[in-house]
Amino acid sequence: MVFQETIKIAPQEKGANDITDVISDLITESKIKVGTCQLFIHNSFSSLLIYDTADEQVKKQTIDFLAQLAPSSDGTTDDINKSMDAIPDEMRAAILQTSISFPINRGKPILGTWQGIYLWERTSQPNERNLTITIIGE
Amino acid sequence: MLHQQKLRFSTTGRGTYNITQQINDTIEKSGLKSGICHVFIQHTSASLILCENADKTVREDLDAYMARLVKDGDSLFKHKDEGPDDMAAHIRTILTQSSLSIPVHKGKCDLGLWQGIFLWEHRTNPHKRNIAVTIMGE
Repeated sequence: MVFQETIKIAPQEKGANDITDVISDLITESKIKVGTCQLFIHNSFSSLLIYDTADEQVKKQTIDFLAQLAPSSDGTTDDINKSMDAIPDEMRAAILQTSISFPINRGKPILGTWQGIYLWERTSQPNERNLTITIIGE
Repeated sequence: MLHQQKLRFSTTGRGTYNITQQINDTIEKSGLKSGICHVFIQHTSASLILCENADKTVREDLDAYMARLVKDGDSLFKHKDEGPDDMAAHIRTILTQSSLSIPVHKGKCDLGLWQGIFLWEHRTNPHKRNIAVTIMGE
């Protein structure tokens, strides 16, 4: 059985936004009990991430680390059509994920105790985001 | 057809562990000959990679490179309740993978000659790690 739907996610704050509940509800709606779920985000300014739910500092410090790894002020030449931080941000996009997948059992995501599903918004002026969920199973 | 199973591994601390055999054993147990094998690790301080399996110095170098990229006890980090490797382990996880999808052919992972599936433990102390394997096919 395959369940597929594209949903719109309202503009989120820059940083890690927990979307575990939204995704869990869609899995319930699909009525699929066992299988895998794939999420795909249709833009290059946000990423998807399975990440730590326990400590808010983990998310904040990961943002700081990525900013340090691909800094905005490292003198990279910029595309004329893009804002000043676009190129470093696309480097961050390249090392993060546009799609993630995880298993489903008993109609729920099989996540570890400290794992959550996050939409990682990398721009300070976010738009509404389109996300496609594909659940394959039985 | 679908087969889902959990595997548990004991690590002895930071480093890579070849789990290809255990994944192939799980596929064999499923009886599925052709399809996709989805491997998911339920942790935020250990991850999965596909990597060269012949020369173990490749993986030692990878670990050394990662240690240089993400420094244990970096002054940037505030999340250090469980030691200097705590926050570094979370970042190492997002720079690698929480899940892998591998084609199944003739009842085995259809890997390249020099490819292996590795669990990458990012914590310096030994841990128990849970991995969920979902095989879909016929």
